[in-house]
Amino acid sequence: MSASMDARIEATPGTVGLEAETTVPVRSQGYWRGVFTRLKRDPVAMVCGAILLLLFLVVIFAPYLPLADPYKGSMIARLKPVGTPGHILGTDELGRDMLARLIYGGRLTLMLGLLPVVFAFAIGTTLGILAGYIGGALNTAIMRTVDVFFAFPSILLAIAISGALGAGIVNSLVSLTIVFIPPITRVAESVTASVRSLEYVDAARISGAHPLTVVRVHVLGNVMSPIFVYATSLTSVSMILAAGLSFLGLGVKPPQPEWGLMLNTLRTAIYIDPLIAALPGMMIFATSLCLNLLSDGLRSAMNIKD
Amino acid sequence: MLTYTLRRLAYVIPVAFGVSVICFLLVHIAPGDPLTAVMPIDATAEQQAEMMAIYGFDRPLPVQYAIWLGKALMGDLGTSIATGREVSAEVSRAVGNTLILAVFASMIGFPLGILFGFIAGYFKDTLVDRAVTALSITGVSVPNYWLGIVLVVIFSVNLGWLPSVGAGPGGSTAWKWDFEHLRYIILPAVTLAVVPMGIVTRTVRALVGDLLSQDFIDALKAKGLGRFEILKHVVKNVTPTTLSVVGLQLGYLLGGSILIETVFNWPGTGFLLSNAIFQRDLPLLQGTILVLALFFVFANLIVDLVQPLVDPRIKRG
Amino acid sequence: MFPRTLRRASIALAATVLLSTSALADGTLRIGMTASDIPLTTGQTDQGGEGMRFMGYTVYDALINWDLSSADEPSVLIPGLATEWSADEADRTKWTFKLREGVKFHDGSDFDAEAVVWNLDKLLDKESEQYDTRQAAQGASRIPSIASYSVVDPLTVEIVTKTPDATLPYQLAWIMMSSPANWEALDKSWEAVAAKPSGTGPWKLETFVPRERAELVPNADYWDEARVPQLDKLVLLPLPEPNARSAALMSGQVDWIEAPAPDIVPALRGNGFEIVSNTVPHNWTWHFSRNDDSPWNDINVRKAANLAVDRDGLEQLLGGLMVKAKGFMPPSSQWFGNPEFDVTYDPEAAVALLAESGFGPDNPVTVKTLISSSGSGQMLPLPMNEFIQQNLAEVGINVEFEVVEWNTMINIWRAGAQDPSAMGTNAINFSYFIQDPFTGLIRHLSCDLAPPNGTNWGSYCDPEMEELFAEIRSTFDPAEQDEVMRRTHEKFVNDALFLFVTHDVTPRAMSPKVKGFVQAQNWFQDFSGITIEE
Repeated sequence: MSASMDARIEATPGTVGLEAETTVPVRSQGYWRGVFTRLKRDPVAMVCGAILLLLFLVVIFAPYLPLADPYKGSMIARLKPVGTPGHILGTDELGRDMLARLIYGGRLTLMLGLLPVVFAFAIGTTLGILAGYIGGALNTAIMRTVDVFFAFPSILLAIAISGALGAGIVNSLVSLTIVFIPPITRVAESVTASVRSLEYVDAARISGAHPLTVVRVHVLGNVMSPIFVYATSLTSVSMILAAGLSFLGLGVKPPQPEWGLMLNTLRTAIYIDPLIAALPGMMIFATSLCLNLLSDGLRSAMNIKD
Repeated sequence: MLTYTLRRLAYVIPVAFGVSVICFLLVHIAPGDPLTAVMPIDATAEQQAEMMAIYGFDRPLPVQYAIWLGKALMGDLGTSIATGREVSAEVSRAVGNTLILAVFASMIGFPLGILFGFIAGYFKDTLVDRAVTALSITGVSVPNYWLGIVLVVIFSVNLGWLPSVGAGPGGSTAWKWDFEHLRYIILPAVTLAVVPMGIVTRTVRALVGDLLSQDFIDALKAKGLGRFEILKHVVKNVTPTTLSVVGLQLGYLLGGSILIETVFNWPGTGFLLSNAIFQRDLPLLQGTILVLALFFVFANLIVDLVQPLVDPRIKRG
Repeated sequence: MFPRTLRRASIALAATVLLSTSALADGTLRIGMTASDIPLTTGQTDQGGEGMRFMGYTVYDALINWDLSSADEPSVLIPGLATEWSADEADRTKWTFKLREGVKFHDGSDFDAEAVVWNLDKLLDKESEQYDTRQAAQGASRIPSIASYSVVDPLTVEIVTKTPDATLPYQLAWIMMSSPANWEALDKSWEAVAAKPSGTGPWKLETFVPRERAELVPNADYWDEARVPQLDKLVLLPLPEPNARSAALMSGQVDWIEAPAPDIVPALRGNGFEIVSNTVPHNWTWHFSRNDDSPWNDINVRKAANLAVDRDGLEQLLGGLMVKAKGFMPPSSQWFGNPEFDVTYDPEAAVALLAESGFGPDNPVTVKTLISSSGSGQMLPLPMNEFIQQNLAEVGINVEFEVVEWNTMINIWRAGAQDPSAMGTNAINFSYFIQDPFTGLIRHLSCDLAPPNGTNWGSYCDPEMEELFAEIRSTFDPAEQDEVMRRTHEKFVNDALFLFVTHDVTPRAMSPKVKGFVQAQNWFQDFSGITIEE
């Protein structure tokens, strides 16, 4: 295994290789405050952050909003155009309210964007820190397994696992989590390894500090921020992949609203009302755009090089 | 250098082995009976059991794996359940079509990406940079399968300029690099090129911008080097990383075109894969995933072998 | 979606600047199929009804063919490679088939009694050299009655059935005859035959690229001169994705597509394409469980559900592309009969029937139905079922769904309602091919076909029905057999044994250039009379 491969993170769509060696040692409260101050000066990132926050709030509190039932349709009110009284964003192919379905669909789509990254973040960071901190045979075992998963392009792996497991939300979560564990493990491992070799960490280790304490104080603090930024951009990848799985019929099953699935079922409506048919695609696009812009902002605010 | 090359080459073997295990297991963790999709719905239980035995699905998994791997090493990937044709023949034909698409998409995506990246990096923090960055981030954010549908509606259905499905007027076997055939590839290739273009732009922009902001450039300028020389220097330094990103993206183009191939009915590996998934055609599914993953492994290998050769920081000899 | 002037301008531009998409040879018909692959070419096709339509009845013939010449009359059996057939008066299991004289396979070899026996061995005799697992997988289950067969003379074949079975002719209409000489010539390799098949049918396969296209040319020497194709060429393209299929038609890449999505139909009509459809022997139904715990054991509940479905509303959902069910068979079927129970939309009567059985607003009927997310012949399962769910809720029948993937559903359908895999559901939404007595009526309700032995999903068993089925199998005069079929179907309807919802009309969209197509009331179609007008 070459050093060049260790340090490189697969450039999945929406992410850019992140050189792990660029980690700045030890972050503190002051550091995060500094990051936020810098971020505040970046209008694009702030606007995107605000949009995403609003989207998350709307989606989380959807049941408390005055929305139509996203499952109840009417054959008479099929594919009503945007601006129809009572249906601001029109209705879908079964006469269900598009606004309600987009918001409820956002719950699932965002969940499928976030959860796999969160799970993979937890599992991958743990594996990576273990491998990087303990090293030796454990490192070999973990990292070589990761290498094998790396041999699959991410989309192929997601589709292959989902194809094998069958459609469904849980299966989509599982397959996407598996897809994201290897890249996160790799970042965590190489950052941990480089932190471990820093003099003061070494000193702490030799002075007999409990390994968990060393990991918590020195390693985690350093590993978290680059991985966090990386994870923000992975969320956008995860969301596009999840929607892609639903689009292929390997993800969320109808009648549950999900943007990718809505995109799929409304495809035939593109000749009747192109705007309605385009709405779910535009939602995926806009959300993913915001996630990427926010991730870029965070990256420069944290001084992480591309 | 030689040891590096040999070590890197030797490393391919365990990875390829691991890949084969995953390909095999992936398909076998799937619930359900592999023959359901291909037999008439009123076939009896005995008729089904008989077919299971004929295809060897009644044997224990390790035995099935050993047989499959042994044959795969000889280039025999088994017989498709759904079509009865050789999987290796099916996959190689599909790989050929996907390669055509990937090559064409590369020809659009990479030069544009590198060019845009260079411009943006060179004029960092100007209006040009902002515009290019916006374009590239759009590229990486757009769900490309959706873009494909939109392009078909505009350019095939409404304008009638370009065909919407297939690989040429006579199918892929009659493929030629002439205009009549290229018309078929334009829409899928453009759609496919959008994401890699965005990624390459972002990478090159960052590299170039970073390099130009470093002190030694000022030193070079002070030494009296002309604009052209400095640019040459930048190109030299940016090439290795760009190459590795391009290499990885080529792998992505080969393995990641499944959604695009579905939208455009392009007879490549992605199309084959989605058929295999929905017909639960296990031998075909295994074979296609294996070949694609191995392609990706070799793309990585080539990148890793070529990168040191072009990297000015690594001394040769 | 674009302003008209812009579109005109752009079309003009396209015509002048770029090559025209429709510059192809005269008399070539290009069809976009829904299958994801070219159906098996060796004889017994795969890909269900579509496979037989495009690669079975085109390149091959059966001993007994379906009459595909009329759009108005129900399709019936007619002589194919056999000119006449009969069962022995004394021993009803013995059938004699007289073969057509002078028929040649595409490779020039003669069709004779040896060839018939050879073809049956290909499907049924595992010891024979020509046994083909792929064709057997498709064909063997179609001829369950056959016990043995033999050559009597070069133009006579005898087939013996296991028990007397008057439905044998319908079974044989499935069996395609491929050329033994061609197989011999190609080193006895079915894989080689696949690339260069030889049948007796009106079309010859000229070239074929797996998963992409197949080109068929006329067989000028076809034995039925009236059915020698008019076209120069028939090109088949697998286009499984509905949107891609429609886009291909609208951009002029194909002249004809199978099964356009209902929502695209208005756009296709608006662009000058013709939508052709006709009743087919197909049935989209809820097959009820008749196990002890099923609410559907109460005839009032069954009738109420049938009266609660608003089939007009459903027709709207499907853009008019359906035939409202009045029973299990389509209303135009020769086997429909005169049932007393009128299957119509009458929610008030439904409420009254439920009240009779003690159900009401405070005590609703609760049922659980298994539905699939998609599937061959399932039309638009999710929206249609959701619609029915709303309808039934209005009269006091609460429906809960278990949604499964199509292949899982097939397995549950085989396993039966009592199987744990059915997840306690008491109805399954299945679509049936109902072209002949067995697939149309017998297999769904015959006692001895209760799971796990067969396809009587709900384990229905009724002595009166058994007698009717036995009568169908033992009535060898076709007209009398039709009469028994009618009586059987009347019982299906009067007892409301299924939820009768709709029949598919197999819509196809085609360019106005396509002339002379007659869509028969059958799954199979005849392409011989078609021409392309330039």
